[in-house]
Amino acid sequence: MSARDRILDRVRRQAGGSSARALQGVAQRLQSLEQTSPVPAIASTAGPDARLRQFIAEAEAVQASTTVLPDFSSLPAALAEELRRRNLGPTFRMGTEAAFTELDWTSLDLSQGKGRLREPATLSRAFLGVAEVGAVVLLSGPDNPVTLSFLGETHFIVLRASEIEPGFEGAWARLRSSGRESRTVNFIAGPSRTGDIELTLELGAHGPIALHIFVVQD
Amino acid sequence: MSAQPPVADFKNNAPEALANNMVQTAMRRAGGGFVTKRAVARDALPEFDALRDAARDLKNHTLANLDIYLERYEQAAIAAGAQVHWAETVEDAQKIVLEICERVKRGPKAVVNKGKSMISEEIDLNHALEAAGHRVIETDLGEYIIQLRGERPSHIIAPAVHVTREQVESDFRASHPQLDPSRRFPDAASLVREARSVLRGKYFEADVGITGANMLIAETGQSVIVTNEGNGDLTQSLARAHVVVASLEKIVPTLDDASTVLRLLARSATGQKSSVYTTFSSGPRRAQDPDGPEEYHVVLLDNGRSNMLGSEFEDMLRCIRCGACMNHCPVYQSVGGHAYGAVYVGPMGAVLTPSLRGVERGGQLPNASTFCGRCEAVCPMRIPLPKMMRHWREREFERGLTPGAARYGLKFWAFFARRPWLYRACASLGMRLLAWRAGSRGRFAWLPLGSGWTKHRDFPAPQGATFQSQWAAAKKKQGRAAGGGSGEGADLGGDGGGSGD
Repeated sequence: MSARDRILDRVRRQAGGSSARALQGVAQRLQSLEQTSPVPAIASTAGPDARLRQFIAEAEAVQASTTVLPDFSSLPAALAEELRRRNLGPTFRMGTEAAFTELDWTSLDLSQGKGRLREPATLSRAFLGVAEVGAVVLLSGPDNPVTLSFLGETHFIVLRASEIEPGFEGAWARLRSSGRESRTVNFIAGPSRTGDIELTLELGAHGPIALHIFVVQD
Repeated sequence: MSAQPPVADFKNNAPEALANNMVQTAMRRAGGGFVTKRAVARDALPEFDALRDAARDLKNHTLANLDIYLERYEQAAIAAGAQVHWAETVEDAQKIVLEICERVKRGPKAVVNKGKSMISEEIDLNHALEAAGHRVIETDLGEYIIQLRGERPSHIIAPAVHVTREQVESDFRASHPQLDPSRRFPDAASLVREARSVLRGKYFEADVGITGANMLIAETGQSVIVTNEGNGDLTQSLARAHVVVASLEKIVPTLDDASTVLRLLARSATGQKSSVYTTFSSGPRRAQDPDGPEEYHVVLLDNGRSNMLGSEFEDMLRCIRCGACMNHCPVYQSVGGHAYGAVYVGPMGAVLTPSLRGVERGGQLPNASTFCGRCEAVCPMRIPLPKMMRHWREREFERGLTPGAARYGLKFWAFFARRPWLYRACASLGMRLLAWRAGSRGRFAWLPLGSGWTKHRDFPAPQGATFQSQWAAAKKKQGRAAGGGSGEGADLGGDGGGSGD
């Protein structure tokens, strides 16, 4: 008998044995995929404008900064401006994201690929946003390499306003229907931080020191 | 330089902690920050208590069907490319991780980076890895600090809460000799910056990246980590192999269930609505991915948990390790985590430690409680912690492990408790005696046989009548007033009432 079988055997005995009814109950729960817990009001905001306002307020409450852009084509100029404002060089790194590669980046020095040891500025496309907590959700892959999200000292993230979900439940529904099976699904709420020295909050622990979100109006 | 396995000798450790000025300074500075932040976060979410009920129910459902959920989780994880390992004991878990390290190392010994993981503390993983010659680097700032100091975590979410800023500075000066010795550390931020720059390069050297898991999701086969620093993500994304060490009860059925736990976890732990990073991982990097680990392993640890199922300690398996119970515990706040001499500290540690290590080795800890009940009142998973501590005390007593003095004390008390008239007569006499001895100050700075109490605070002298006689008097008065002023009885007892002058 393997360790696996011995453990499962003990669990099964204590849990009262996996009866046909129990098996069916579990199968049903894993199939129906319904939220059985209450959904808080803060995760149920109706109307795209209210959701956008909530998302921005929550993101800024966790020290992210935000800019609303009229369309994707205004992104290169907006990024150049943000870099200048932060005294960063006109250079950044991104993946193969199609929404980015088709833009005109001639005013900036861009490189593509995964994150490296020194990475002053990185750019990622979010899969969606969650108004409830002001978080963006990124999916790892060649289009948006996961290391760019953690090695960039300043991380720029782009999101469409219509991609903002009121709460976690909407995020799960979008993830399930996307068919994407990325290795990591990263919820990011603000720049990295630590309270490990005398519980004093310090921004910029191991991940980004600053996080800026461009919300593109549809 | 990993710390020696802790010894659960609370009785001897607690007085040391109370006498240790550094521990006392650090605990005072950290103070009630967590308590206030949690209260603010709870008040801002009207559904908080309803979510606690729902979380309790979903975890109970999962535990009642744990065998089925474990199998479903394993299937989904393997389908996504995971290698799932089952470990019955601490030694089994160590052996599994050591074998992975031996296999994937690029040099003569493996370079192992670690994110914060209580399970890795439970299985004493650093010790085992270092004994085998591997290099282990803790990357969570708090864990890094205590690794430099050769210590153990004193809090499950703030492992270095007992260390002062000045101590961190001197540890960094000693451990980073490559840096300019004349550099200054004017604030905590400068220490964070130094740790960041020192650790940044280490992520790229790792053969193995070890993280824990806040949850395992049966629906998707994903493991979830919840962090603020980003070190857990750098650890798992830049190493050749990502190894997750997790215990059986971390399973939740679906992503929706995960959100219920997430809504409670950060609020209960730090008062945040959400931690900065919530990361769902499954399998190794995909074929097209430029980054991410080449291997993904999950070590499922039992270590006594399957035997807790169906017992009076099953409720403990709902614990999500938020630390709210210790933040609200007057005993923990007075002595800090090290006094428990155990991996898990505070009220949750007092219940879990004897379950994992046996009542012989952890049985003292359930006595480190005043039974004030704050831990249960704040527990997001509604775990009846005081009740379970009482179960352990009973077991300790039944097995004759309670120290002689305590046994005789209880017998002495039981003699009076069974004779109420004698109890009342003696209590009344004793109180008058104490009140007379205390004089006009109303407090004792020293009491015979009571130095354990009076060394750290005064003992208030009893004022007037006993609780029982005051209660009886109030009842009588209430009866006479016929429905008026029924709240009076509530102010009886306690030492906050009017002084005797």
